[in-house]
Amino acid sequence: MALGLYSRDGSVTRGGRAGVVCFPETTDEVAACVRIAVAHGRAFVPRGAGTGLAGGAVPCDDPVVVATTRMDRIHEVDVERRFAWVGPGVVNLDLTRHLTGTGLHFAPDPSSQQSCTIGGNVANNSGGPHCLQDGVTSAHVLAVEVVLPDGEVVVLGDEEGRAVGYDLRGAFVGGEGTLGIATRICVRLCEDPPEVATLLLGFARVEDAAATVSAVIADGIVPAALEIMDQRVVEAVEPFVHAGYPTDAAAVLIVELDGLPAGVAAEVERITAIGHDHGAGTVRVAADEDERARIWKGRKSAFGAIAVIKPDYYLNDTVIPRTRLAEVLAKVYEVVDERDLIVMNVFHAGDGNLHPLIVYDAREPGVMERVLEAGEEIVRISVEAGGVLSGEHGIGLEKKRFMHLQFTDADLVAQDRLRRAFDLHGLANPAKVLPTGASCGHVTSLGRPPEGMWV
Amino acid sequence: MTSPTTPGPLGLDDHGLAACVQCGLCLPHCPTYRVTGDERRSPRGRIALMRAVEWEGAVPDDEWHEAMDTCVGCLGCETACPSAVPYGRLISGTREAVAAERRPPLHLRVGLRLLSWPGLVRWGSRAIGVVQRLGLLRRTGVLPARIPLRAGRSRTDGKGASRGDGATGEVVLFTGCVMDAWQPEVHTAVVDVLDAAGIGVERSGDRVGCCGALHEHAGLVDDARAHARRVVAAMAGDRPVLVDSAGCGAALKHYGDLLGTDEARAFAARVHDVHEWCAADGRVQGLLAGLAPSSGPDPSTEGGVPVARPTVVVQDPCHLRHAQGCHGSVRTLLAPVADVRELDDEGLCCGAGGAYQLLQPEIAGAARDRKVAAVHRAARGDEVTLASANPGCSTHLAADRSLAEAGVGVRHPMELVADAVRRSGNGTRRA
Repeated sequence: MALGLYSRDGSVTRGGRAGVVCFPETTDEVAACVRIAVAHGRAFVPRGAGTGLAGGAVPCDDPVVVATTRMDRIHEVDVERRFAWVGPGVVNLDLTRHLTGTGLHFAPDPSSQQSCTIGGNVANNSGGPHCLQDGVTSAHVLAVEVVLPDGEVVVLGDEEGRAVGYDLRGAFVGGEGTLGIATRICVRLCEDPPEVATLLLGFARVEDAAATVSAVIADGIVPAALEIMDQRVVEAVEPFVHAGYPTDAAAVLIVELDGLPAGVAAEVERITAIGHDHGAGTVRVAADEDERARIWKGRKSAFGAIAVIKPDYYLNDTVIPRTRLAEVLAKVYEVVDERDLIVMNVFHAGDGNLHPLIVYDAREPGVMERVLEAGEEIVRISVEAGGVLSGEHGIGLEKKRFMHLQFTDADLVAQDRLRRAFDLHGLANPAKVLPTGASCGHVTSLGRPPEGMWV
Repeated sequence: MTSPTTPGPLGLDDHGLAACVQCGLCLPHCPTYRVTGDERRSPRGRIALMRAVEWEGAVPDDEWHEAMDTCVGCLGCETACPSAVPYGRLISGTREAVAAERRPPLHLRVGLRLLSWPGLVRWGSRAIGVVQRLGLLRRTGVLPARIPLRAGRSRTDGKGASRGDGATGEVVLFTGCVMDAWQPEVHTAVVDVLDAAGIGVERSGDRVGCCGALHEHAGLVDDARAHARRVVAAMAGDRPVLVDSAGCGAALKHYGDLLGTDEARAFAARVHDVHEWCAADGRVQGLLAGLAPSSGPDPSTEGGVPVARPTVVVQDPCHLRHAQGCHGSVRTLLAPVADVRELDDEGLCCGAGGAYQLLQPEIAGAARDRKVAAVHRAARGDEVTLASANPGCSTHLAADRSLAEAGVGVRHPMELVADAVRRSGNGTRRA
């Protein structure tokens, strides 16, 4: 029965089956797990904290699950050269906390950063609110020690971030466990900004908040973060964090600015003005660190807070051009309303990275079909608007059936060749990412493959 | 509004069990997941296992029971949960349902039974204290290293036991069972501080006895209810009930749910953690303000010799932080008398958990190691005292060798406040 706990991650995917779960503590132990699995023709699936939202860690057909949670040591911090070597099981926020007092931090900050592991961040090339200015995980991985799918251990990249020859480090980051298992990661550390200001703007219409986002960027300001939460999200999280969000606003825009004090002050003024021009009813600047922390805690708790409305969620992840935010959001609400479902929108507006959170009660008959249909429609609308399938959650099991919407057959063949260059036998997290090869036998809740799907 | 119960053998709160969205935000706040990295030792995993039994008809096996048995019950996950999953209710419901077939080990049951006789606890403890001094007992985290040979004053059962206004005191201090035997100085500290602030206090004494928290924790809910009924009956009236043990305080505040009677709910509403009550009381605040360096004669000198303000690292017992949510008051009281340093572990449980350290020594030890590492980080090599408002935590932590070697003493926050009050001469006032 307990193996069932490893049959799923944070996604809607059900029906995964783990054959055996290993808890290696060293690189050698990971390599041994992989070698033994491969020698027996068994697939292996790496797993961090199991907070993934695309089913990347869901085991298909009894594979060896390699849980890296016990590889949670911070091996080395070099403050002068601004890097740290960490185990893949180190929790994202633990690293930044560990760096308190050094004036440095690890920039990628996914909403699940208090739980998710850096190994998982590497596998999914994770983003986060502050990746607007700092870039996503790939920009923060200098080198990575990898157990390849044949058990060999290699180091890709180096501490200076120089790639000699092809940038295999770049190829590995975002590989979702199909190219091997990261066992030690050398991450870039960023300097803490001398000054930070966090603004909270309330709007009577979601499209006004979206228009403000475009206007801010068009004005030449790239804030540290630009996030939108709609009213349902605000109502769900406010009782948990007491951040003082304007609960009567249709949308709340969080803008974080950092840099030198004079520059930040000027930008606060400028954004306040842009906000008012676009109909912001309220503009508030966080008075202190505590208020700032509450604002962010609320934003980052959104997906976990939905049980106050419904007990299940399907969190989608697509990217669209920032200039089309208002238009696409309107369509998202429409698609969901048509299917008699509830959507909560909370997203990285600055990146155009949408996170429609469809909430439902899985025990209601037939609801899952409607949820998946709406999800599929949202993906289609996003891609048609010139966007992409996934911003940061990865493709995993959830999105592989949509890969043909984004890529031609030739593109997919090329990607498959890259994968085979790392994993000749197709045993590294098979049935994920590419719509080729193995399917995930028992998995449910993902609907049928759309017609015309590239197989 | 009551929620329907689940159809399975555990009979849990159905809405509560459904409320978990399995997002995993609880994981880092669970001490047993933190030290094992294993879903089976996580709140999310335990809830999934409860669901398997309640919703899918799975039959609990040894692994299932072990997953439930290894929960400390710290409720760190409840504080962390954005969806307000009532994990505490789910795990105690589960424990109660399986208690009949998973009875705690005999030595624990006997130990818990003994708590019904505070006088016996004191005499037995004194005997153990003698054995300890003879070096005949191996040191563990279960008992204090040196149980005092002079027990508390509660044996006089209220009569003349308190200073202030004696049995007619304005407030009643709940003296419990083992604390009176093992840490009598804590009750004395509370009485001294209240006394100096001009507040009369009566000790609840042996007639009231044990709160039953450990019994409930071990799944012996019927025993816990019997204790609760006795306590409620023995403490009739409307005076505030102050509690200086976080674990007992959480239990007393929870009597309304445990007994489900109006009388119990009315009693629970009178219960206050001692820090919570003092931080909100103008007289205590006035007393402490008079000690702060910014006002009045410089309190940091004693007979012309400067007395350094102690540097205090605060450890939040889970029963204060997660169960009662009044850990902020500890800081309010300590700030005027000490330099307070915070731990960087967001209140992660130390692994003491009442009898947990006895039943799950491996996980409890690993959780303590994490806590101790956080204490050393906060201490940065300076001379510090660790403040803990729960006897279980302080005993568990005090047994750590590296803290002892670093000279880090573990004391109750009220003792530190009392030190300052006594130093200033206020503590000598007697009613």
